[in-house]
Amino acid sequence: MSAIAPPRPSRTRSRVVASIVCVIVVVAFWSVDINWARLGNLPSEIVRYLWLMFSAPDWSKLGEALYQTWRSVEMAWVGTVFGIIVATPLSFLAAKGFGPPPVQAALRGVFAVIRAVPEIIIAIIILSVTGLTPLTGALALAVGGIGTLGKWGFESIDGVPRGPIEAVRAAGGSTSQVLRWGVWPSASPEFLSFWLYRFEINVRASAVLGLIGVGGIGDMLTSYTQYRQWGVVGMLLIVVVVVTIALDAISGAIRRRITEGAPVHDLER
Amino acid sequence: MTQHTAEVGAVASASAPWAIRMRDVSVRYPNGVVALKSISMDIEPGEMVSVVGLSGSGKSSLIRAINGLVPITSGQLTVGGHNLGEAKGRELRRLRGEIGMIFQGFNLAGRTSVLNNVLVGRLAHTPTWRTLLGVHTAADKQIAFDALERVGILAKAWDRASSLSGGQQQRVAIARALSQEPHLVLADEPVASLDPPTAHAVMRDLRRINTELGITVLTNLHLVDLAREYGTRLIGLRAGEVVYDGSVDDASDAVFEEIYGRSIRAEDVLDR
Repeated sequence: MSAIAPPRPSRTRSRVVASIVCVIVVVAFWSVDINWARLGNLPSEIVRYLWLMFSAPDWSKLGEALYQTWRSVEMAWVGTVFGIIVATPLSFLAAKGFGPPPVQAALRGVFAVIRAVPEIIIAIIILSVTGLTPLTGALALAVGGIGTLGKWGFESIDGVPRGPIEAVRAAGGSTSQVLRWGVWPSASPEFLSFWLYRFEINVRASAVLGLIGVGGIGDMLTSYTQYRQWGVVGMLLIVVVVVTIALDAISGAIRRRITEGAPVHDLER
Repeated sequence: MTQHTAEVGAVASASAPWAIRMRDVSVRYPNGVVALKSISMDIEPGEMVSVVGLSGSGKSSLIRAINGLVPITSGQLTVGGHNLGEAKGRELRRLRGEIGMIFQGFNLAGRTSVLNNVLVGRLAHTPTWRTLLGVHTAADKQIAFDALERVGILAKAWDRASSLSGGQQQRVAIARALSQEPHLVLADEPVASLDPPTAHAVMRDLRRINTELGITVLTNLHLVDLAREYGTRLIGLRAGEVVYDGSVDDASDAVFEEIYGRSIRAEDVLDR
């Protein structure tokens, strides 16, 4: 028995697309103005700076570093709370079937625009009003948080089972009661998890915001880099990494507990 | 004083059952499908009615029209003397608060407690701020506990709703309807997701609501034997029209074949 293969579908289209992508990659590579000669020095330079920073970290400024880290975390925390307070009602309005459709579309657009702008740009805009204070950083994180929390929020509400909503409506519930008893019990674990995740993001972002001088550990890092005190910079990096990893781990563990529910042994009787 | 007593009496007698009066009621969905075609019928207070028909016959639309979840597009519909067909907003929600509804899929909020699910039945009877904060009055909680006791699962009050079996979940849903202290209970294929013994237990609960509390009960079913056993009156729907309306005792196999437009098959009965 000799099987006759069906005619192979035309591959012209994919070939054309592949060639175009190839050309774009090559042109893009050569159009970037890079001093290739310096590339050779890169590995030795990296090793030199790593040695400067970490061969003898300067722990004398540790107290100041911890204080500034705490300010960064505070900035992240306040930014997260403000973001939650504004984003949660907006995400209900942006969800299908709750807000008026034009409001829904407008809010989804606003969330998308905010997500397209990095927090540091938002901070520079806010800076002109509130000045170089940690509040500026917190507000920038809050605004940035509205973009992500709003989007995660309405997507989660859109995905909630419709049955409980119908039941609350059938029992005579108003829209707010439908949200409270038809939507919230299903959506709340995801919301709590989003809030914690946004806090993790804000802890990392708050260090970056220090670069423009709104205070916190990022501010200190910029200063000592400019003073070229590499021992202090090395110590600061260690503090940032340790604190960020620790907060990520704690928050991540809480989030897992929320989304996966209690461990099995708690449920057994 | 007299008025006060009368009000208390009205609240206490949750069993003051409602009639349903329909005159030429039609339901046409926005996509053009006509689910109900000019239906006229009277359900008297305290009746136990089985509505039968194949899927797509309009029985689900009928039950949803009676509590306003599906708006009627023409005709007159009154429940307990209230014009539900024209009711909107607050008035519609108040009427729904007096009508219990039971669903095929139970429609419980699985991630919260059984008690919280039952208290959904009190939403229309409680100030909004209380319901939003979840600060329930002792009286409301007592009503919820009594409702759970009536369907025999009071012990599960603090459990997560999703941890219960299907039959238990449907009982919670019945308790939720009972906590409304309803004048009318509507059930949309209440046992279609349950195994036969559980199905009978749940149908017995519905019958007790009718016989012990005197509440009007309207149940959608597609199973011939359940409709015969648990209803006193049978309404047959086919393609959005009433094709039979009479006593269950007179509903022979021939009547069901007329309603279904085909012969009775094994899948049309629960106990084979």
